[in-house]
Amino acid sequence: MVRGLYTAYTGMANEQKRLDIISNNLANAATVGFKEDNSTSQSFDHMLTIKIRDNSEGNNNRAIGNMSMGVKLGEVYTNYGQGSLKETDNTYDMALEGNGFFNLSVTDKGGNTSTQYTRNGSFTMTKDGHIVDENGNYLMGEGGAIVVPTDAAEVVIDKNGAVYADNTYVDNIKITDFDNYDYLTKTGDTMYQALDGAVEKPSNALIQQGYTEQSNVNIISEMVEMISVTRAYEANQKIIKSVDQTLELAANSVGKV
Amino acid sequence: MMRSLWTAASGMTSQQTNVDIISNNLANINTTGYKKESAQFKSLLYQTIQDQSYDNNGNPKPSGIQVGLGVKNSAITSQYTEGTLSETGSDYDLAIDGKGFFMVQTADGGTAYTRNGSFQMAVGENGMVLATSDGNPVLDTNGQPIILDKSYNTSNIIIDESGNLCYPDANNNAKPIGIQIGVAQFNNPTGLSKAADSLLTETDASGSPLLETTGTTVGKYKIKQGFLEGSNVQAVDEMVNLIVAQRAYEMNSKIVKAADEMMQQANNLR
Repeated sequence: MVRGLYTAYTGMANEQKRLDIISNNLANAATVGFKEDNSTSQSFDHMLTIKIRDNSEGNNNRAIGNMSMGVKLGEVYTNYGQGSLKETDNTYDMALEGNGFFNLSVTDKGGNTSTQYTRNGSFTMTKDGHIVDENGNYLMGEGGAIVVPTDAAEVVIDKNGAVYADNTYVDNIKITDFDNYDYLTKTGDTMYQALDGAVEKPSNALIQQGYTEQSNVNIISEMVEMISVTRAYEANQKIIKSVDQTLELAANSVGKV
Repeated sequence: MMRSLWTAASGMTSQQTNVDIISNNLANINTTGYKKESAQFKSLLYQTIQDQSYDNNGNPKPSGIQVGLGVKNSAITSQYTEGTLSETGSDYDLAIDGKGFFMVQTADGGTAYTRNGSFQMAVGENGMVLATSDGNPVLDTNGQPIILDKSYNTSNIIIDESGNLCYPDANNNAKPIGIQIGVAQFNNPTGLSKAADSLLTETDASGSPLLETTGTTVGKYKIKQGFLEGSNVQAVDEMVNLIVAQRAYEMNSKIVKAADEMMQQANNLR
C-alpha cells in the first residue's frame, strides 16, 4: 500500500532490537569478564524509482531518483576493550591485562569436548586439583588441563601465567589471542567459541592473580543510547500514525466526492 | 520487545541477590571471624536474531547477529583474607595470624572449622574441656577434644604461638603439657561450605584439611592468645558495592520502563 508505512515499521522493529542489545549490556554491567555489544543499523538497498506513463513527459519513462525502503540491523560488534580490575585476594581469581582469552575445556551433555574462550577469570579448585570455572569447566594450560597438587599450601601464579605450587613449577596457563575477533561467537556464560577461519596468535596478556576483570560496559553511553532508541521509536510511530491519517482521508473523504 | 523486558528483569533479580549479600556482610561486620562474601555474575545464553551480518563496507561477517538474554548469579564466593586482630585480654580468646582454621567437634561427631577463636573452659565428664561459646569441643592436632584434668588450674594455662598448651612447673617456668591446638589449612578455602554459627565444613572443592602433624606442608601461622579476629568486612567497600548494586538495579528498571513505553506507543498505533 503506502510505502512509508512499511518503512516506519522497519524503523520500529530495528529500534526494538537495539533496545534488546542495550538491555543485555546493562543487565551485565556487573558481570566479570563481560564485553559490551554495540550495533550498527544499515539502510535497505536503494531502489530506483521511475516515472512511467506520464503524459506531460510525452509518455517517456524517466528516472526520478533513488530511495530506500527502510532500515535493518547491520552488525553487532563487541568491544573487546580492557575492563577495570578489582582486587579480590582469592588465589584462583585471575584477570587478564591485555588482549587474549583463557582456554576452557567444555564437555557438553553428549560427551563432546570443545575449547571455549573466556575473560572471566574467577576460578576455583576441585578436590582432585583441577582449576575450574564456576560451571566446572577445566582451565587449560600449555600441557593440558592444569592440575595443582591438592596438598599445596600456597599456589602462586606469576604475570606470565606460570603456576607454582609451593615453589614447584606446575604448568603455564594457556592464553590465546585471535587475529580477528569477528570469528568469535558467544555461547553464554561469558564464553566464546572460535568459528571456522579463526586464526590464533600468541597473546601478550599478563595475568594478575587475586584480581577479576570487571565488565567494560559504559553505562552512561548505554543510558544515552536508550533515550535515543525510545525517541526514534516514538518518531517512527508518529510516521505510521500520520500515514494512517492520510489513508483515512483517502478512504473516507476522497471516496465521498 | 519482550526480550528486553526479561533481560532487564534478570538484571534486577541478580542485583537483588547482590544487595542480599551486601546486607549480610554489613550485618556481620562485628561478627568474630566472619569472612565477607561477594556475588559473581555470568551472562545468560545468546540468541541469534539474524543469520547474516555485514560490516560497513557491505562485506559479510563470519558470525550472525547475536543478542544476549541477560544475566544470572553464578556463584557467591567468600574472601578468606585476615580480619583485624583486637586484644580482649581473655585467656581463651584465640586468634590465628595467618592461614588456617580451628577444628571444632560438632554435635553429630563431625569436624567443623572456624576462625572464631572465642573459646572457654567448660566442665566435662573427665575435667575441663576447651569449647566454643556454643559448647562444641575444640580439637587438638590429633583430632581429640582438649581435656584438662583436675590437677591443672585452668587460669594458669598459657598458649604459645604454635598452639601448645603450657603450664607453669615448680620453678614457675611454662612447660608444654603435650597438647597442641589443631589448626587445619585448606588448599582452596573458598570451597568450604558455610554452616550456621560461623562454622565451615569441608567439601570436594576445598580439598581435605592439611595439618602439620600429618606431614603435609602448611603455611606459617601464629596463634595469639588474648586476641580475637574481627570480620574482614570493610564498611566503605560494602557501601560502594551497595551504591553500584542499587544503581545497576535502577538502570535495569529504566529499561523496563522504556520497553513499557515503547509497547504503549505500539499499542497507540490504532
